[in-house]
Amino acid sequence: MTAKLLVVDDEPRTAELTAEILRRAGYSVDVAKSGTEALERVRMGSPDLMLLDYDMPDMEAPEVLDSLRSGGERIPFPVIILTGARHSPGDQVVGIERGASDFIVKGTDRQVMLARVRGALRERASGPGPVVRGRLHVDAFRGEARLGDRQLKLERRPLLMLQLLANHSGEVVTRSELLELVWGSSYTGFEHSMEQAVHQIRRELREPGWIETVRGIGYRFVIQN
Amino acid sequence: MGSGTGSSSRTELAAALHRLRSTLARVRAELELAEADGDSPPVGRLRADLSEALELLGAVEAAAFGIVPVLVLDDDERLAELTARGLRRLGYEAESAGRIRALRPHEVVVFDLGLSASLDSAQRATLKAARPIVVTGAADPRSRAIAADLGAVDYLIKPVELTDLAAAINRRMADQSG
Repeated sequence: MTAKLLVVDDEPRTAELTAEILRRAGYSVDVAKSGTEALERVRMGSPDLMLLDYDMPDMEAPEVLDSLRSGGERIPFPVIILTGARHSPGDQVVGIERGASDFIVKGTDRQVMLARVRGALRERASGPGPVVRGRLHVDAFRGEARLGDRQLKLERRPLLMLQLLANHSGEVVTRSELLELVWGSSYTGFEHSMEQAVHQIRRELREPGWIETVRGIGYRFVIQN
Repeated sequence: MGSGTGSSSRTELAAALHRLRSTLARVRAELELAEADGDSPPVGRLRADLSEALELLGAVEAAAFGIVPVLVLDDDERLAELTARGLRRLGYEAESAGRIRALRPHEVVVFDLGLSASLDSAQRATLKAARPIVVTGAADPRSRAIAADLGAVDYLIKPVELTDLAAAINRRMADQSG
């Protein structure tokens, strides 16, 4: 499925050029030319990711973020802030605290920008919400998983890992991604813990085909009949 | 996360602005000449100049706002980017790479020791001059010796929590401005 992105920038040429770079990378991209227009577009339908200019005449990025949260704890899609000038580190943290996922300084290398967009989209794909894949039902938020009618007894991390893999059914999820998204650490060292989690998932499923090991890279979820 | 803005920063700011102006003047001259001759502008050269101008603008901002950039180097580029993203969320100006590149002024380098074997002598010298923070899964004397030889100011054993890494970066920055 093509990810739907929304680029928000009050400078039309900048907005269109950013959008074109993203379109050429295979994304479906809409453009909004103000904070107000961005909020209207989101009301009509949430994008998978928003790239948001920090300084706009009608609203600054933190105000847009506050409106997007609209009383909720988190924004339901990742927002990457585009800064024209580097703000003080404090401003950057304010953006993150208000719900932004990342920052990109305008003029950053195109490949770097695309890598950050891919990273944020991957992170979103591991978000909460029940997942149903064939006979398997996983709801990490509620702390439960079942295969058909049988409850699976999984600890928190194996459960999160199963949900993440199921969310990416058919795709390889790398060990690095699992470490970051399930263990909350970007460094290795929890690899043994990850292997134990896979062992526990397989033991509980009692059917080995659901989780494939992709040697040296990671794991892949495969739906079983 | 910023350094002082004393006289050395003003000198750096002036130098970066001077180089930025020179680069932009060069771009304009190339375009004016191409226009006068009715030729196509030299796209490759102009793109290189503009990339340089953007880097110089970064140096201007860093000097003006006291921002210290961070580079996370790891042979696993995705892992490096995850770490850099975590640092950006803490307010650092962090980038990632799978191999050493030209460093920005005062860039703090977080270096995975696994990359040490791939360094040539020039890269080794660059890294040593940057006095990196070394991150490694190994705590054996040989690894420590390699890190010391690379001029490491800190030696962190994996797994490293982001807060510990941030503390090491802050120590390195304090050392730099001291």
